[in-house]
Amino acid sequence: MSTVNPEQEKDSVPFYPDHIRTEFYVVIGIMVLVVIFGVLGMLFPVGLQAPADPLNTPLHVKPEWYFLALYQILKFIPPQILGIDGPMFAVVTILLAVLAVIFWPFLDKKEDSRKAVRVRFILTVIGVIIAIAMTIWGEVG
Amino acid sequence: MNKKARRNLFFGIAVVFLSGTFLVAMTLHARAQTTALEAGTVAWETAQAVSQSGPALVIPPPKQEPCLSCHITGENKNLWTPLGRWVVFGTFGLFFVFGIYRSASVWTQRKQWVPLTTRAVDWVDERYDIKEPMTKILNKPVPKFALRWWYCLGGITAFLFVVQGITGIMLAFYYKPTAAEAYTSIQFIENEVRFGSAIRMIHAWSANGMIVLCIAHMLRVFIMGAYKAPRELNWLSGAFLLLLTLVFGFTGYLLPWDQRAYWATTVGTDIAGSVPAVGNLVLVMLRVGWDVSEATLGRFYGLHIIITPLLTVTFMLAHFMMIRKLGIKKPL
Repeated sequence: MSTVNPEQEKDSVPFYPDHIRTEFYVVIGIMVLVVIFGVLGMLFPVGLQAPADPLNTPLHVKPEWYFLALYQILKFIPPQILGIDGPMFAVVTILLAVLAVIFWPFLDKKEDSRKAVRVRFILTVIGVIIAIAMTIWGEVG
Repeated sequence: MNKKARRNLFFGIAVVFLSGTFLVAMTLHARAQTTALEAGTVAWETAQAVSQSGPALVIPPPKQEPCLSCHITGENKNLWTPLGRWVVFGTFGLFFVFGIYRSASVWTQRKQWVPLTTRAVDWVDERYDIKEPMTKILNKPVPKFALRWWYCLGGITAFLFVVQGITGIMLAFYYKPTAAEAYTSIQFIENEVRFGSAIRMIHAWSANGMIVLCIAHMLRVFIMGAYKAPRELNWLSGAFLLLLTLVFGFTGYLLPWDQRAYWATTVGTDIAGSVPAVGNLVLVMLRVGWDVSEATLGRFYGLHIIITPLLTVTFMLAHFMMIRKLGIKKPL
């Protein structure tokens, strides 16, 4: 039945039923969270603000929280950078960054090493801290 | 206490706790509804009395609970009646189905006894030859280093996508994507539809969870270097999936059509519009005109419920198949 050779069997578990069972427990855990959110929703509904009114701009206009960090960066761009329009410069930079993320495997082709992993870990932590700080700043400010 | 008993105990406690919470929520919900109904009735009776003495006045009857079982006379129409009936008849039904299953499993010839399910699987297998590929898929070994919580992040994202699909379809039954009715239909979902507010809460928070977990999964892959050759396309499809998740969030945010939604979309499309060269084109295509309007709502609704889900499912299948083919990268 099993097509696994003995060497593989030592440091692996079969997908079915062992791994499926683990995944099932994870799914059950998430379902419990989902049900808790549902009950919370019945007690404290998400709610709505006033109906949309194009003629009445609220005082603090904010995008969704996951765009807040970008929005916050855009807010602090000076109007002129090296004689180019500031916001346009920032948007182009962000677009290039997104393209770099999408095509990152084709930019970083070096053989992986433990040192590289550590460097990437530290970079990620710094990036995440900056992003969270920017988001909180955007939410409060 | 052995391991199995302890697990059962935990499970029991969880069930009791959850059903208790659920009961409390249901009671509060029902009480709120009853109070609202009673208030409505009183106002109506007073109004009727006034109208009888004064000039003729046609007053519409108060809003009533939709009657789910009026063909059975003399029935108490509370919230639990349909559920109770489901439980009672459902239990009998399960016994009945089990009986059919057992009787159909009896083998009437001088051959080895085979359960019905096995016979059904064999019948399909004879015709479509599914057993061998299924065995191959199911027996694929999973390396033990992958049994850590940070390898779950992508899978949980996929599961939340399923949750989003189901709750999204439920919301789409009642939602109306027009400027005049979007806001009131959301109010209807929150106040009138049974479990409507729960479904909306789940949809809203799973969306946030999906974005957080998607980014967390991406960072995990980035740190561990799992994007390196030969897995470049895994990363590429994953990056597209993150973009699609953000499109989901961005388009879904407009749909309630309240002030927050309207102005968040205005700001977001403004940023997209400041891209040089193609900015204005993108802006007009997103907003269907120069301003956020009813046309924008329709476009975002279409993107949110048809185009983005189709693309996401396609990319997810590609993502999973590539993972299956190449396996999970061994950490350094």
